[in-house]
Amino acid sequence: MGAGHTQDHPSRTQKWLGAKESAIKTVWFFCAIFAVIAIFFILFFLFIDGYPIFLQAGVWDFLTGLSWNPTGTPPSYGIFTLIVGTLLVTVGAMVLAVPFGIGSALFISELAPPRVKAVIKPAIELLAGIPSVVYGFFGLIILTNWIRISFDVPTGESWLAGSILLGIMALPTIISVSEDAISSVPKEFREGSLAVGATRWQTLSRVMVPGALSGITAAIILGTGRAIGETMAVLMVTGNAAIIPDPIWNVLSPIRTLTGTLGIEMGEVAIGSTHYHALFGVAVVLLVITLVVNLLAMVILGRIKEKNMAPAKKRCGMPQSPLPEGRSWHAPVTRHLFWVLTGVVSLAMRAIAGLAGFIVTFLVLSGIYLIKARISPKIAQKIAFSLIVASVVTVLLILGIILFDIISNGLPYLTWDFLTQPPRDLGREGGIFPAIVGTLYLTLGAIAIALPLGIGAAVYLNEYTKEGRMTRLIRTGADLLNGTPSIVFGLFGFAFLVIYLKFGVSLVAGQITLALMVLPTIIRTTEEALKSVPSSVREGSLALGATKWQTIRKVVLPPAAPGIITGTILSVGRAAGETAPIMFTAVVFSQRYLPSSLFQPVMALPYHLFILATNVPGAEGNKYGTALVLLILVIAIYSVAIAVRNHYHKILRW
Amino acid sequence: MSESTILTTENLDLWYGDTRALRSVSIEVKDRHVTALIGPSGCGKSTLIRCFNRMNDLVDHCRISGSINYHGKNIYANGADPVEIRRAIGMVFQKPNPFPKSVYENVAYGPRVHGISDRKQLDAIVEKSLRNAALWEEVKDRLSESAMGLSGGQQQRLCIARTLAVEPEVILMDEPCSALDPIATSKIESLIDELKKNYCVIIVTHNMQQASRVSDYTGFMYLGEMIEYGETAQIFENPNKELTENYITGRFG
Repeated sequence: MGAGHTQDHPSRTQKWLGAKESAIKTVWFFCAIFAVIAIFFILFFLFIDGYPIFLQAGVWDFLTGLSWNPTGTPPSYGIFTLIVGTLLVTVGAMVLAVPFGIGSALFISELAPPRVKAVIKPAIELLAGIPSVVYGFFGLIILTNWIRISFDVPTGESWLAGSILLGIMALPTIISVSEDAISSVPKEFREGSLAVGATRWQTLSRVMVPGALSGITAAIILGTGRAIGETMAVLMVTGNAAIIPDPIWNVLSPIRTLTGTLGIEMGEVAIGSTHYHALFGVAVVLLVITLVVNLLAMVILGRIKEKNMAPAKKRCGMPQSPLPEGRSWHAPVTRHLFWVLTGVVSLAMRAIAGLAGFIVTFLVLSGIYLIKARISPKIAQKIAFSLIVASVVTVLLILGIILFDIISNGLPYLTWDFLTQPPRDLGREGGIFPAIVGTLYLTLGAIAIALPLGIGAAVYLNEYTKEGRMTRLIRTGADLLNGTPSIVFGLFGFAFLVIYLKFGVSLVAGQITLALMVLPTIIRTTEEALKSVPSSVREGSLALGATKWQTIRKVVLPPAAPGIITGTILSVGRAAGETAPIMFTAVVFSQRYLPSSLFQPVMALPYHLFILATNVPGAEGNKYGTALVLLILVIAIYSVAIAVRNHYHKILRW
Repeated sequence: MSESTILTTENLDLWYGDTRALRSVSIEVKDRHVTALIGPSGCGKSTLIRCFNRMNDLVDHCRISGSINYHGKNIYANGADPVEIRRAIGMVFQKPNPFPKSVYENVAYGPRVHGISDRKQLDAIVEKSLRNAALWEEVKDRLSESAMGLSGGQQQRLCIARTLAVEPEVILMDEPCSALDPIATSKIESLIDELKKNYCVIIVTHNMQQASRVSDYTGFMYLGEMIEYGETAQIFENPNKELTENYITGRFG
């Protein structure tokens, strides 16, 4: 250890460096712990406000009561129908989304030529970027009409509409997480399988998919979480009648979900009333359901990580311990999956005894059949691949229809005046200028709060600590925050910021609420970006005598920057399109002037669209115009993110 | 030379995008012998061996011209089925790549995808293949354990057993020992010596001693060209080309 001339200056610079290092570390630590504090705060405030209803109505009666009628005389607070509604809509969505999602994931990861892949992947991401209120708008105008006409019913606002819409919205999650899982199965497995003369489909179905099974399962669970927590789109198309469908598989019955109830009633309730507490009780139930679902996904994904660690170690030539894992784990899983699928399918058959049911059943059953069957591998491959292609085409077609409808109907209204004038006559006339500005204020404020906190937390988690109880706690906190339905953030913002801190319905309350919502995304994408910088680079810098922070700042952060930027931009897109979190915290429907301080309310594009679509008859043109502006805004943001990522992907490869 | 030719390449050219990785390679490979391909990194030896069972089909932007004839039939002809070809021409990779399944399932995988489902038949194939890969004694008590728990050398022999289980005629080995320690390497080498009684073996290696130890024929490649191809003894003791001599004597590469 030739310390050389450093011993000549033990001195001030070193002390200063040391102090600076630990100060920086402390700052990052507080950023990291913030996510945990936030989740506890959210839980705390929801419970405080929800607690009285559990006392008053009793936990059991609240959960199992069949009548939800808070404004009746006497009022009744039973949320069983709402829970059933949420479950039915979610199950329906999954039945539709899972086959198409997995089919598309298989196509993207295994079948698509690079050029096709380069188009489809961003297209799927675009599907994820479309704000839920735009989906709801589309559902309300097109989907419910289609259902009304093709099934010849008085109204199309139904369970089926909700499930189709939620299915579409869950698709991107299912596709991208499954695709990641399939792509991360080492390509050596594929080569090994092909080298013994297996067909591509045999390789896919027997090696790649079993290898990715837990990832695919997690994808489905995450999609389920997304569907359960979705508010705006569901609220707009399900009809919101608090009834249990009769018979239970009547998909054309209207239905009401937990989230929908919050979205509709929270704005009109008297603060502190029993009804108010009942709504927080609903939020607590919703939060508990999503927490359980997301924890489940995390456990499964965590197990995959452990499993992947083992062979990775081996490649580095490290001494191996005999693995306890032993027997082939997927055989029983596959068997169970078969029965689960069959169960779901037979349910679906009874429920959706229409064309959709038939197609889905056909897709799933033939998939299973192909795995089991003894028909020639080549024919099996042909059938399987055509089904896979069919599922991708369907997904792209849906995206195309949505985009086409909104663009073709909205374009004529996209005038200069529309963009620069305040609304008149409840938004039927005039423009949306205050809403555009409001959305920009909200989004930028949210990012300004979330970005430093998120990056700090990620740097602390990834660079300063070893994996331990603390990091696990923080990371779990962030993940749970990530899976929390956006309407729950809205309620928290309302109870804590608007009421408790007396901010009132204001810009700043909306910004903080949105910041909380995007924080986990920023933490996780930054962490991923930091992880992708190989540790050899850090070691190289540290070996030259650089301090920790110098190393992070000069050699770790620069190559991680594109990843961080991408994550941030995606968060901007998400914040810009969200309605539920700002609905009770920051926005008003109509305001002629721009806010002059942080404590004034603003207009915002998603909320404006929501009100135009649901509460203002005769605003046909401005509805589409607003939807198009919102869509363009979000698509532009996402395109920038995708462009940044692709650009650096090409330059930078470890 | 009385032995029969099993594989020939004629004017084989290969491009990765705009990069030409093989330049009109023409060789004849003899059945039931070991042919080694040597040359410095990037000379195209791995690319060439991956042409023999069309593994390069998986590489995007890869184009091939010329022909490879297996028993006189061009495997790149229209209508030639890569799946059939890979069944007859198996491959062992640089890094051992067992599937994350049990030892048994790894070996049974090939027969299963080719339609064998009878348990007794599979048992017999698995045992025979593992014996032929000189692995049976080491794993016979842990057939149902995960193959990922085997040592690197055992994993590689398992991959050889997996290849043998579909009864190919030709076994391609792409630097099969480069990830292994010397003991595991010598086990694989003596296994290759056994295998050549029944199979044609083509091996890519960057280790010249290994080539001289295990092979009957050697091809020396440089910058995508087959510089010299002949009996191993002749290549190593009395090369015709100066480039070959320079490489073998360690003056470059």
